[in-house]
Amino acid sequence: MSVEITRTQPNPAPAGASIVGSRQASRATIAAFLGPALVIYAGFIFYPVLRTFYNSLHSVGPMNVTTFVGAQNFTQILTHDHTFWRAVGNTVTFTLIGTVLDVLGGLLLALCLFARAPFARLLRVVWFTPVLMSYVVVGIIWVWLYDYDWGLINTILRWLGLGALEQSWLGDPHTALWAVLVTHLWKWLGFNMIICLAALYALPEEVLGAAELDACGWFAKLVYIIIPMLRPTLINLLVLSFIGKMMLFDLVWIMTDGGPLWATETVSTYVYKRAFNWNTFDLGYPSAIAVLWSAMIVAFVVLMTRLLRQRDRLEF
Amino acid sequence: MAARLGRHHAIELWLGHLRRTPLLLFLILYTVVTGGPFLWVAMMSIRTTPEIFNDPYGLPVPAHWGKFADAWTISKYGTYFWNSLIVVGCAVALLTIIGSMAAHCLARYRFRGSRFVRVAILSGMILPPQLLILSLFQILLQFGLYNSLPGLIIAYVSTQLAMTVYILEGFFAQLPQDLFDAARMDGYSEFEIFWRITLPIGMPAVFTTIILNFIILWNEFLYAIVLLTDDDKRTLPLGIMHFMGAHQLDVGMIATGLMISIAPVILMYAFFSDILIKGMTAGAVR
Repeated sequence: MSVEITRTQPNPAPAGASIVGSRQASRATIAAFLGPALVIYAGFIFYPVLRTFYNSLHSVGPMNVTTFVGAQNFTQILTHDHTFWRAVGNTVTFTLIGTVLDVLGGLLLALCLFARAPFARLLRVVWFTPVLMSYVVVGIIWVWLYDYDWGLINTILRWLGLGALEQSWLGDPHTALWAVLVTHLWKWLGFNMIICLAALYALPEEVLGAAELDACGWFAKLVYIIIPMLRPTLINLLVLSFIGKMMLFDLVWIMTDGGPLWATETVSTYVYKRAFNWNTFDLGYPSAIAVLWSAMIVAFVVLMTRLLRQRDRLEF
Repeated sequence: MAARLGRHHAIELWLGHLRRTPLLLFLILYTVVTGGPFLWVAMMSIRTTPEIFNDPYGLPVPAHWGKFADAWTISKYGTYFWNSLIVVGCAVALLTIIGSMAAHCLARYRFRGSRFVRVAILSGMILPPQLLILSLFQILLQFGLYNSLPGLIIAYVSTQLAMTVYILEGFFAQLPQDLFDAARMDGYSEFEIFWRITLPIGMPAVFTTIILNFIILWNEFLYAIVLLTDDDKRTLPLGIMHFMGAHQLDVGMIATGLMISIAPVILMYAFFSDILIKGMTAGAVR
């Protein structure tokens, strides 16, 4: 069907400028250009994904001894696996709160720079630096900052005379997830800031100027003009941030290893542990978790974009 | 009268500054919060562990530059660094060649199923890695590529291919068709057109993907930890984690390792910050 549409589509190049057939090429040419990419894609993306689906319905032991178990993995996960539900709870909490803070924080930072802050260019570069650092670097630095004895956070609390508040931030099940969330925000705020800033600079100046003429306060300007006009960008950021956090693995693995007492276990770390750390020797079960969780992510993303985008039709 | 006006003006100005002070304070604070930790690690990387435990936030006096040599040889960071460089270098080279060929083809020619191919390749951008990694582990194990650098290179090429094609195709599609028609009339072959027109003119986009892929893969952790087990094959992020696991308390040496892993990224960022920022944000604003 889509092939038909492609063929009958008019040439998008300026009319008259193109020679008939200038966008045609022999099959051999196309095969030569596209071949390597398609081989990689088919062999190492398409096939593994299919195999994960296949594995999810099987029990896959060592030496690839595979037995069909039907939906048993899924029923086991959904009804009996308490660790899985704990991981889901952690991941969802982390994602919902983190996503909102991520996008709001990025927008606020961008507004600071947009409000003609001094050294905006330099600040932009510094604020973006954590985005470029690996999770290993960021994770280890923050493990040290959170350290009970000599970490900066407790040092500052003691210096302020608030020694009563000092914590073993990553060692206490009540604070560990939040400590990881702060680190994650610290790493990614710069990314959201940069994108909001680009969108802010792309706003038509007449609208902002008109608002100023109408003596619109900055808060009203933000709520009634800037945020509605940035809506498509903000939705994109929400979706990106959401997907990234639902698949959170590296930072947790480096900082807490899912502990203490499963307080920071996420679905991704649980998948890894079931596949490689627990001596269950079954790749089928973690595959089923991966399939289930990916379906959840896709469903959520579709739902989110539907809900948020519908009102996009409004023209302003 | 004039003096009073002037004084009034000065007060206005001062009030304006005062109103902006919270903003300025916030700007300074956030800059310290984002940049500070890196300066701290940089200072610790040239201090010894006893010095650090004596005063974690002291200045690096005297500076122990020799720690980098020790880290390179005794702590094996040199091995990890070369492994990282080989894996990332090969993966980026392959990605650039394969990706730009595919992007050129998708942007330039109309053919049966081109839309399907485009959607299929680009869908790799939003693919959750968990759906891939367990069976990729199985497949590489079958091919004897598990726990080998080539295996990791293959994994990296396949996971970064979608983004590479996406950025390149977007840029290549904007090149005017007339250019290619003229080249054809001059008798260029299809490959010459790619090699002598698309690539040189598309260099800015190609360069962006090179830098972007380099940094993303240099920092990569998940695939590496699943696909590599030998100490001699570990990439830098894995090597640092391994060192941290074995020498939890040797903060000074870990910091030196972190600096070795940060350095190439900082160097690239210093020279190409604009390209990097634009590349990282490509596609999010549309």
